[in-house]
Amino acid sequence: MSNYRYWLGGAFVLAALALIPTSGSAYTTTLLFTMLISYTLAQSWDWVGGEAGYINLAHFAFYGIGAYAFCLSLLNGIPIALCFVIAVVVTSIVALVVSFPLFRLRGDYFAFATLAILPLTELLAFNFDFTGGADGVVLPPKYVLFEAYYLAIGLVGLTAIATVWLIRTRFGYALKAIRNDEEAAEICGIRIFPAKSRVLIMSAGFASLAGALQGWQLSYIDPTTVFGLDVALIPIAMALLGGSGLLWGAVVGVIILSLFNQLLIVSLPILQTAIFGLLLLLIGRYMPGGLLRSGIIRNNRWIGFLGREHDRFVKATAGVTMTDGLPLPKQSDMKGQPVLECRNLTMAFGGNVAVDNISLTINAGEIVGLVGTNGSGKTTLFNCISKVFEQKSGDIIFLGQNLAGARRDDASKLGIGRTFQIPQPFSDLTVAENIAMPLMYRGAVSASLPDALGLATQFAEYVGLTDHLSARADSLNLQQKKALELARALACRPRLLLVDEVASGLTPMEVRNFVNHIRELRDNYGITIIWVEHIFSALAQVVDRVIVMEQGSIIADGPLDDVVRDERVLRTYLGSAAPEAV
Amino acid sequence: MDASIIIQIALGGILLGGLYAMVAFGLSLIYGVARILNFAHGTLLAVGGVAASAIFTATAWNPLLIMALLVPVLGLFGYVFYDKLLQPLTKRSHFEYTVGSVLVTVGALLILSDVAAWIAGPAPRNIPLRFEAMEFGDVIVSTTQAWILGGIIVFTIVLHFYIKKSWFGRAMRAVTQDHTGATICGVQADRVHALTFAFGSGIVAIAAVLYTMLFPVDPYMGFSLTVKAFTIIILGGIGNLVGALIAGIFLGLAEGFTSFFWATQWAPAISIVLLLVILVIFPQGFGWRKSK
Repeated sequence: MSNYRYWLGGAFVLAALALIPTSGSAYTTTLLFTMLISYTLAQSWDWVGGEAGYINLAHFAFYGIGAYAFCLSLLNGIPIALCFVIAVVVTSIVALVVSFPLFRLRGDYFAFATLAILPLTELLAFNFDFTGGADGVVLPPKYVLFEAYYLAIGLVGLTAIATVWLIRTRFGYALKAIRNDEEAAEICGIRIFPAKSRVLIMSAGFASLAGALQGWQLSYIDPTTVFGLDVALIPIAMALLGGSGLLWGAVVGVIILSLFNQLLIVSLPILQTAIFGLLLLLIGRYMPGGLLRSGIIRNNRWIGFLGREHDRFVKATAGVTMTDGLPLPKQSDMKGQPVLECRNLTMAFGGNVAVDNISLTINAGEIVGLVGTNGSGKTTLFNCISKVFEQKSGDIIFLGQNLAGARRDDASKLGIGRTFQIPQPFSDLTVAENIAMPLMYRGAVSASLPDALGLATQFAEYVGLTDHLSARADSLNLQQKKALELARALACRPRLLLVDEVASGLTPMEVRNFVNHIRELRDNYGITIIWVEHIFSALAQVVDRVIVMEQGSIIADGPLDDVVRDERVLRTYLGSAAPEAV
Repeated sequence: MDASIIIQIALGGILLGGLYAMVAFGLSLIYGVARILNFAHGTLLAVGGVAASAIFTATAWNPLLIMALLVPVLGLFGYVFYDKLLQPLTKRSHFEYTVGSVLVTVGALLILSDVAAWIAGPAPRNIPLRFEAMEFGDVIVSTTQAWILGGIIVFTIVLHFYIKKSWFGRAMRAVTQDHTGATICGVQADRVHALTFAFGSGIVAIAAVLYTMLFPVDPYMGFSLTVKAFTIIILGGIGNLVGALIAGIFLGLAEGFTSFFWATQWAPAISIVLLLVILVIFPQGFGWRKSK
């Protein structure tokens, strides 16, 4: 097992590091200590940056808060072990508190806000009395390099274990889903805020320990050394230089940049900051994806393994099945009973009423076609039912439960699956990982990662993506992406499936296959289906009834044969020649 | 309290805020067009100010002449900076584009301030040029202040109409709203990006000379200016110049009065807290909808 080799290798490296102080000079030990601290910082930044995709420019603030909390506690005569605990607890509380406002923000706005936190903490440390102002905190002189060094080795071990753990667990996959598409992540049943908050707290906790150790070793901290901008971005640059999101990225980045920095300090009396800035600039310009993702490294026989992406570390369990065909449970027979009821449902964007006072009932085992001109409110209705939007007024009752105020992941867990009209796959994950995502996050029946990847192969086979299982989703063409949408929606194990224009753009042969799929899903697995589609001939083969929307209202609801003869439907949607065409 | 002191402080705050706004103009245009958080933007003012002061000390030229010299220099710098260092990143994935541009702009920030400090020294400096004072009752206004205030107002109006009416202004606004759409309509988006960097950096050159005539500059003050400029564009709305001017003046006044009534050392906290509060209340940025 390669697993076992990794643990052995890791333990060996840590043991070798532990021997350094006994044989090497104090200089070597100090340099290595700095590198250990840097690795902890760079790697813990990357859990939020590389895994969850949030560029947290305030990471260093957690390091500084940890350092201050530790040093101030120690100065007040608190036992040292407790000082470390206090550092972690204080920083985690700060991280928890700031995660509420910060994670309301996305993308650049998140970066804006985290950027502002750093000078704010610096200013607070400068201006408060208890932090010692510009003088900082000075600990009683005591030589603790070796103690701090051994603790740092332990911290690095923990950091590495946490990183491996993130690669192999569904929590790590929740972060990867969040990085790609938060809406789709929720549709797969992932509660995104707690996941983001947890990873930020985890990252802050490790950073605070790094700060505490550094403060202890230096026995002196001041606002600029723990909150200054030029030092703050170094760990981030290290993670990016190696390769963000890669297991070995932070390790390689830390080694290269630390040694380079050391070289600068020793050999260059002036312009150190400028040269370091130049290095940051060159990394950003030429390899923001990381050194380890370059072809020279990846194609090398000996060090190619350093550049492996996360999906190469996990093997799918072979031969996991639940049933023949698709691994979907056959659902309890409740034919004829209502699955979904919408009562006086209204949704508006500003003054534009997209869904206007709609009431409808969908019964178990029905296949309902939802048609209407573009802009008539079909997709908005889907978005309300799957809770992508919260309706303005009215009720949505699903299996007897009112969905008012429910989150998207609640809707998914209750059994509402959907596809997006414009496919929203998790772009940088493989097809298998995309399908595995909801399988890991479906309440009581959730599967482990290897099992989920095993089950995913069956869904992929069903929609014809077997040959692309390990392809990245963003390398698929549009039709394959739509197939992936369907597979992922099915993997949510829905009782009600909302299909949004999956068949448009398919060849007649593919459309026929798709229609058979829809019929099979109802007949074999008891899934109730609402299908939005413009290809009337396809609908005609399979639907029990058709609902026609026009300007946010329902203008017809009934068997297809009746609907195509309805005056209003002919006038607004089909055109007069339609009845002959069906 | 003496009313004349209040007026003095208010005038100082308005001037400072107007200069903040000029820094924010360029940043706002750049962010709107290229979606790049240019962390080096405020540092351009610091370095430009240091250069202006050094030139003035050496030659005693008219500040307008120094401005005429610095605008094309910083403009060219902005163009090359984007064209050679940032534009190539647009071909990469979104994550790599964002982190790459952060590293490039922060790297530039460190280089610019360190090199400026090496050449001209890290000490604060200014343009010690004083026009005679005008007295309105108890309120004393230096002619410098009056000229600069007038200059900021005229500049904002001209810039506003330039962006509304000119070909380049239209192109910038088109790219801001929809990059692909603008490209399809024949706007050369890459060129507009680079020109916007040049344009924004040129505005900073003007602001740098005016700033240095009123307040001391040092090579390392740039980053706090950038944070202030971010606050202003979030408060005033991205791409909204009049909003930025109002937000800038509001910030300048708030800082002035905080220093006077409370404590000088807390004044820099205002912009940061303001930025955080606005982002928490309006996660998409204040006034964002208007520009969209």
